[in-house]
Amino acid sequence: MTGYPPPPDLIEGRVAWVFGDDFDVDLVIGVENIKTYDADELRAVTMKAYDESFVDRVRPGDVIVGGRNFGYGHPHYPPMVALRNLGIAAVLAESFSPGFWRGETYNGMPLLTVPGISQTVRLGDPVTVDWRTATVHIQRADGTQTLTGQAPSDRVQRIISAGGSFNLMLAEHAQEESR
Amino acid sequence: MPQTIVEKILARTAGRDEVRAGENLPCRPDYMIAYDFPGYTDVMFRQMHDDFGITKLAEPERYLVFIDHMLTRGDQREQDVHRVTREWCEFYGIRLHEADGIGHQVMVERGYAAPGNFLIHFDGHISGAGAFNALGWGVRRDLLEGWVKGELFLDIPATTRFELVGEFQPGVDSRDLVHEIIARLGADGCAHQVMEFGGPGARAMKIDHRQALCGMAMFTGAVSAIFEPDDTILERAGQVTEGELAPVWPDPDATYAAVHTIDLSQLRPRVVTPGSARAANTKLADELTGTAVTKAFIGSCASGRIEDIRAAASVLDGRTVAPGVTLNVVPTSKAVHDQAEREGLLDVLRAAGAQIAQSSCDFCFGYQKPLQPEDVCISTGVLNISGRMGSTDAGIYMGSAFTVAASAVSGHINTAAEVTRE
Repeated sequence: MTGYPPPPDLIEGRVAWVFGDDFDVDLVIGVENIKTYDADELRAVTMKAYDESFVDRVRPGDVIVGGRNFGYGHPHYPPMVALRNLGIAAVLAESFSPGFWRGETYNGMPLLTVPGISQTVRLGDPVTVDWRTATVHIQRADGTQTLTGQAPSDRVQRIISAGGSFNLMLAEHAQEESR
Repeated sequence: MPQTIVEKILARTAGRDEVRAGENLPCRPDYMIAYDFPGYTDVMFRQMHDDFGITKLAEPERYLVFIDHMLTRGDQREQDVHRVTREWCEFYGIRLHEADGIGHQVMVERGYAAPGNFLIHFDGHISGAGAFNALGWGVRRDLLEGWVKGELFLDIPATTRFELVGEFQPGVDSRDLVHEIIARLGADGCAHQVMEFGGPGARAMKIDHRQALCGMAMFTGAVSAIFEPDDTILERAGQVTEGELAPVWPDPDATYAAVHTIDLSQLRPRVVTPGSARAANTKLADELTGTAVTKAFIGSCASGRIEDIRAAASVLDGRTVAPGVTLNVVPTSKAVHDQAEREGLLDVLRAAGAQIAQSSCDFCFGYQKPLQPEDVCISTGVLNISGRMGSTDAGIYMGSAFTVAASAVSGHINTAAEVTRE
């Protein structure tokens, strides 16, 4: 795997799940399954400990929401591959654990730090996310609420747009070669 | 502008007079390090060669590879993994250290973790270099960016300062300190920052304990940890470093995200319950006394150095490992093993019934003698997530070498103070 496909400028979907603080992402697929990248195997175990119907109801563009220190522990890559396979387009959290943040940023997953997000959204809320500015519009029957987090750095925006760090480096390398 | 240690080190590697926390800049590490592991080094070498067309390195002396994982089965797969690594290192002219011990210790013994140096690795426990006033940063797959370009973009981290006073009580060490810090500040208490240690308690701390403390920095959310230079660092680094040392002090009025004072004499032994090192899992050892264990492990890149083996021997001298418990001791490097042998410490451990294994990473990640489903282990390893040391049904508690040795003697979680009082 060299990275995830880049997201559209505006990610439109729903809140597919809300996790608590210090969430260990390996639990998304269970620690027994953290070595596999096989799409079918991953689908069969994704979020089963939380919601049997998760894999069937998630649609491309949906996002997951985390509390403080999302990704704490010893994160492996397959859990996020499993979520990306289902169409999860971004993670919005109060804050991210640095190791997880670095590993998934490399892969090009938008990880947006949005203070207040975990207390504001509810499961199933429709959201529109401008990932470059970390602006989240939450649409509810009683109106739209907007939260703004910390915009990713220019470098990270370039990484996400390129479909991950590896693809960005390849593109930069090709540019240098052609000079 | 006054700067922290980390700002000064990264300013040098970014070719700047000064940098500020929050800037994003390309930095040139002094050493870019990996251990060989399938799916990591083999892939990175192939990417460098096939995707980026690199057939010759401009500065091969800045690359280091250690063979410290997968050393204990002697099967064909192991041999194939290491053969591929040897071939690539020879092709690129990269220095390879094979089976000398765990890389995060060997890098210190060979002088790579010299004061003021900046080292990256895909593995986060490189932060142990901070014990020598060197900055070690685990950058995961971004190591490839360093290997391909010689530099990599980094967010300059803010620093939390820890003023340490007092000295550890007998039976207490820096493993208890790091979990004390997590208990007080939370598992994200230093998120995306560097921990800077100074003060009389830091200067009094043994270098092995500093390595353990810095090596565990990630569990506070920190990206690294670093000690102020002092006589201990300069003397130890001087023995293994060629040329002038370049220690880096913080400026007195540097800007810190937070400053905490911790009195080491007030600390008590701590044990972390299975699952993760988060604050809720961090208990006083006394709270868990009586929890039965079947396996005990002293070793890893954080613990397993001479001070840990001395600690274990001080508890095990004249005592025996409890029936039904296996105590495995893995000196962190060959040099540590040989010193422990010379000091007679390994004889003490053997007489008590401990098993001494070859220096490697293999116990800590469940490759060598993996835990069985019914096992309960107390460990000085770096991780206690489910499945880390074998079966996902086995429980892993973490504590200092004192506490692990005491628990092995008792057959249940116990402190060195209790065992040596009996």
